Amino acid sequence: MDNGTSNSASENETITLKSCDGIEFHIDARIANRYTLLNNWNGGESACIPNVNGKVLEKVLEWCEHHINDPQLNCGDDDSRRRNTIIEEWDENFLSCDQDMLFEIILAANYLEIKPLLDLGCKTVANMMKSKSPEEIRSAFNIDNDYTPEEEEQFRKENEWAEDY
Amino acid sequence: MITLPNECYYQIFSNHWYYDHNYHRDLFSCSLVNRHWCKVIMPILWTVAGQHFNNIKLIRTLLLTLNAEEQTLLIPFKNILPNGPKPLFEYTSYITMFSDHDLNVGIKNWLHYKRYEIEYDDERCKIKNVNKCSWIAMLLRTGKNIKYLILDE
Repeated sequence: MDNGTSNSASENETITLKSCDGIEFHIDARIANRYTLLNNWNGGESACIPNVNGKVLEKVLEWCEHHINDPQLNCGDDDSRRRNTIIEEWDENFLSCDQDMLFEIILAANYLEIKPLLDLGCKTVANMMKSKSPEEIRSAFNIDNDYTPEEEEQFRKENEWAEDY
Repeated sequence: MITLPNECYYQIFSNHWYYDHNYHRDLFSCSLVNRHWCKVIMPILWTVAGQHFNNIKLIRTLLLTLNAEEQTLLIPFKNILPNGPKPLFEYTSYITMFSDHDLNVGIKNWLHYKRYEIEYDDERCKIKNVNKCSWIAMLLRTGKNIKYLILDE
């Protein structure tokens, strides 16, 4: 039965990817087959993935390897993904890294078009903000408040209806 | 904090909270974090604002969005217009749907909030219609993303 995971590469086939800082990774070709952009950089010698360093690429590939047998997502699955706010234990542990790494993984997943990992990263960040005040969010993510007091007050007044829902 | 591209922020704010109980409240909190997040969040938050026209806090913002011409219709009715500067965003440009039923409820709630006592039925009807005309004119002028407009009456 086709569970949506079949692809043309065999289990023993490997490809080589190189990070922007020159670190090479030899990975199962089935991983690259699932994500078009990874496949595009299969080339060993000179081909390297710009914008993604070895440390981050290693994490991204670790995630891809763990999820190699997951069913492929269809376009119509977007809504069910949105509904699902539960994060599996392995993924939760995987993303229990420092905040910079979490954001680097989101950036890499977005750049490499690895949608399920991008989704997971965004979901993790969203969960970190849930039920927090603006001050708590600023402090959790080390963000400066660039509103002027007058502007903040006016903005609050114009949008305070949202607090009722 | 490492800055993400807007499409990632959009995904963080729009995708995962939609079915949560405190969705709007959480979005509001995030929009107060800084100006950048606010710009990403406003179109998401106001997309659904049409469902909440019964809320007088939201109506206040809508009334501040009326231009001079739309306000003129309401001037004869004292104290109906709120005091305040022009809104920071053209919020209504993000609204995707509204119905005249919600507008009617909103107008009724606003008049009640302003303690606008109307003795006669025809006067009550007139003031509601004038309000409705102003609001609809404003929503049609600014509502660049309106996809559904339900006018029953």
